[in-house]
This record gives sequence, structure tokens and C-alpha cells, in this order.
Amino acid sequence: MSRSFDTLRHYLDVTGVNIKMAFMTIIEYPANIAGWMISNPLQFIMGFAIIKFVVETFGEINGWDYGQLAFLYGLSVISHALSMIFFVQGWFMGWYVIEGDFDRYLTRPLGVLYQFFFTNINIFGITDLIPGIIVFIYGCVRSGVRASFLFVIQVLIMLIGATLIRGGIYILIGSTSFHTRSAVDFGQYTQEIMDKTTMYPISMYPESMQFILTYLIPIGWVSFYPVSSLLGIDNGISSGMITAFITLAVGILMMSLAGAYFNSGLKKYESAGN
Amino acid sequence: MIDVNSLCKDYTIKHKGAGLSGALKGLVIKNTDVIHAVKDLSFHIDEGEIVGFIGPNGAGKSTTIKMMSGILTPTSGSVLINGEDIAKHRKEVVKNIGVVFGQRSQLNWDLRLGETFELLKHIYRIDADAYDKTMSVMDDILGIKELLDKPVRQMSLGQRVKGDLVASMLHSPKVLFLDEPTIGLDVSAKYSLRKFIKEINRVRKTTVILTTHDLGDIQELCERLIIINHGVMMEDGNLKEITDRVAPYKTLVVEYYDEIAPHHEKCEIISHEGNVARYRFAKSDITAADIIASLSSEKAIKDVSIEEAGIDDIIKIAYGK
Repeated sequence: MSRSFDTLRHYLDVTGVNIKMAFMTIIEYPANIAGWMISNPLQFIMGFAIIKFVVETFGEINGWDYGQLAFLYGLSVISHALSMIFFVQGWFMGWYVIEGDFDRYLTRPLGVLYQFFFTNINIFGITDLIPGIIVFIYGCVRSGVRASFLFVIQVLIMLIGATLIRGGIYILIGSTSFHTRSAVDFGQYTQEIMDKTTMYPISMYPESMQFILTYLIPIGWVSFYPVSSLLGIDNGISSGMITAFITLAVGILMMSLAGAYFNSGLKKYESAGN
Repeated sequence: MIDVNSLCKDYTIKHKGAGLSGALKGLVIKNTDVIHAVKDLSFHIDEGEIVGFIGPNGAGKSTTIKMMSGILTPTSGSVLINGEDIAKHRKEVVKNIGVVFGQRSQLNWDLRLGETFELLKHIYRIDADAYDKTMSVMDDILGIKELLDKPVRQMSLGQRVKGDLVASMLHSPKVLFLDEPTIGLDVSAKYSLRKFIKEINRVRKTTVILTTHDLGDIQELCERLIIINHGVMMEDGNLKEITDRVAPYKTLVVEYYDEIAPHHEKCEIISHEGNVARYRFAKSDITAADIIASLSSEKAIKDVSIEEAGIDDIIKIAYGK
């Protein structure tokens, strides 16, 4: 017990240094900051403007009114931003496999997956976080949600779960490169699919697709199920407090699966010739 | 210290025909070839040895060193470092090793050198005293302290290699793996690197395992050579032993005043052009002095020189086997 506590403390210590170095790297290239500060939030504000247009034209989407959609959209962007901060490297895993960039991590006494994500922590993800929080708060106000202590706890738990689900999916897709030995950049496609399935209620899709998004590729748990439970909207699967915990459990399950798949791939890792 | 037991590594290569038709066929029929990059390699390395891995490109040196440092998982066989299997207990075992790849830096490109050291200090949990001590040793050998505040992207290759060497030694590993460390370095950088290897080996008893194509590295550093080709061990021993075994001959070059060269019963004349004759003899059989004495009693000699098989000859012979 004290040993695993010690290990945890060690990883937190290294994480602190990595975050410090990530900030120092950003400061080295100040010109990049302005670019990201403008383009990233703009992308999501535009996305939200489209929803506003759709709702104003049709009144609602599948029974969800404007405030509820803002709530859903906001939380989805927040978990997207968190996954960008911690797990965006997963998009580039194929390149690491081909270029032999895992060599360095394998010769250090820490978990390879941990080093892969945390030595490349993406502080710029914060630029996605801000529009997410703004839209979410707007959604809370519009749909008259009362921010009780329990409510905040549920939101935090479901955000952790949602971020883990997203990260797990990135790792699962990225780890296929160990077997195919090719680096296809799935990032953009993954992002497209994630956007279309987490920023709108999936109840608007055909039932077969809902089934896939609930049980096979559990993207439904990233936002639709926990958010509908928080807002008291019937989603036919789960309701109440328990949904946030199911989201967390799905996230942990996805991460464990992804970790196991990654590690099995790592055994097939071939490095790169000199 | 290090035990390598019947180490094997196979790669599966997809076989594709030429052109579009070949590519399309490849989609349907999977033709795979298994390539044995390393075949049944076994050897033992003691603490404090400096071992040179040599062999032509694609011989399996890098694959071997990558299995020994935990990067690649062996297809079969094992690598034990201090009695522990590195493939099974990677995180524990790698605490005792340092790794430098000549063509791949572990330094953070964007920041000053000191930041990479700071990160490593936390990763390996190096306490301040041990860190300061190592740094002062490294400063004596490589003059590293003046580079600490320099951003890595502004460094020359030589400075970066120095940075990488120090980075790999911060946690005082017992074994240091160097994969082609001198590649691309100028003469003075090569000199510092060799001095560094000799010093850490002498002062810290660090076991050093390096791959190289540089004959100077081999001559100056390696007490022991392991020659690999086609994934198989060709030779294992010190330079002199290997030389005696694969090239037990020397050549005596004698210049006379005219074109007639006398024979010697224990020599073979391998060439005779103009006034110069080349006599090949077995080192174990006779000495050059005896041959010169006997030849000069028959004819007047203008000049002599002795050619020994150099490392490059030995490598050529050993690779060619």
C-alpha cells in the first residue's frame, strides 16, 4: 500500500515537472499563442452558432430546447478540451511507431503510455476549454439548472469519465499502428465523428446507430446519457445520479482496454532502423 | 552482470509484387516472409568491460542492443541484467542502464539543456548530492556546466552528444549502451567522447556496450569485440585474439637494389613488382627479424617495412565469412 502511494507520488512529481516544461515551451514560441487563442475558440463558437440557427428555425432538436442543447454542447466541448490537453498525442501514435519514437520512453523507468501523453502535455487545449465553459454556463442559466453541490460533483465525475472514454478511443485507434505499421492520421476523422455524436442528442439517430454508440463504441456516454440524466430528460437507458458513475465506469473500462491493447502492441514494436 | 541467452528476433515482412497488379494481389493473398534478424545469440559480459559490437549495416547489431536495453521484445531467449530479465521487469531493470543513440537525442529541443536534466532528476529520483557529484565529474570530463543554459536547438552536434552522454549518466547506471555514438562527429568531439567512455569506465566501473563503424573507437576503447553478421555471432574476443585467429599473417615488404628477389623457405612471395617484393609469413612461425637477417645475407636490402592486418582487414575477413 505504501509502495503504491510512493509510486503515485513519484508520477505526480514527474507530472509537475512536465507541466512546468510544457509552459516553458509555450513561452519560447509566443507567436503561436495568439494564433491558437483566436482560432480554437472561434471553431466552437461557430459550431454553437449553427445549433442556434437550427433551433431558431425548427424550434428544437428531437425534443431538446435551446438551453438544453447549449448545456450538452458546452459539456461536450469541455470534455473534448480535456482530452485535447491530456490525450491528443494519441492522434499521432502511428508516427511514433514508424519513427521509432517509443525507444526513449522504453528505456526510462516509467510507464510508456504515461510518458507518451504527459511529456507531450498540450497546454493549448485550454483554448478549447474556455468556449466550452462559457456555452455550458449559458446552457445552465437558460435551462434553469440549480448548481447544487451534488450537481457539481456529478458534472465533475461525468467529465472525468467522458475524458477517459475519448482518450481510450484515441489510444485504441492509435495502437492499431503497431500491427499495421502504418501511420494514418485518424485524428481528424475521429474528431468529426466525435463532434457529430457528442454535441447533439444521439436520440435523433436511428436505433441501430444508437445501439452501436451505447454498447460497441460507447460515445453516447461521453455526453448524451450523463447530460440527459442531469437535465432529467428520459434517455431510455439510465437516469439519476447513477449515470455519472456509469460514465466514469465506462471511461475506466475503455482506458483499461486501451492500455491492454497498447501494451500488447508494444510487444510487437519494431523501433526504426538507423 | 549481463547474460544473453539464445536471443532471437524475427521480423515478419509483407511481400508485395511489383506495380499496381502486385499491390492488388497483396491485398488478397498475404505473402509474408519471416526474417531472422538475430539468431540464437548467447554471451556474457562482466562488470566493467567495454564491449564493441561491430558488423556491417543490417547485421543485427542495433536489434541486439535494442533487445538488451529493453526497447525490443525478443522473439525467444532472454537478456538478464544483474540476474533480472529486462523484457519482464522493464521498469525496474532500466534504472540500472543508460542509453545513448547517436542519431536520436533525448534532450528537449525547445528548452535549455538544464531543463532536460531537471526532468531526468525527477524521473530517476536523483537526490541533490548525487546529482551535484555526477555533474562535477561530468564537468571535469566534458565541460558540461558551460552548456547548461544553452537552448538545445542552438547546440552543435558535438555539444548535443555531450548533453546526451551526461543525460544518460545522471542516474549513475551500471551499464551504458551507446548505439553509434561517434557518427557525424568531428575529431575533437570524438576525442572527448572516447575520453568520457574511458573515464566513466575507470572511475565508476561502468560497463559500456557500444556499436560503431569507427575503427578508431574500436582501437582505442574496446577490450573486447563481438562481431555479428546476418544475426549470428562471428567472433567474440579481444582485438589481438581475433586478429591472430582470422589474420595470422604479416607481410614483409622488402625493397632491393635490382629486380631479383630471393626466396625464403617460410615465406610466400605474394607480389613482386620492380624492386619491391612482398613476403607473407605466419606470425607464429617466424619473426620478421629472422627473415630480414636471412634475406640480407643473400642480397643487399635497401628498405623494409612490415604490414600487419589492420582492423579494417580483420573486419572484412570476419564479415566475409
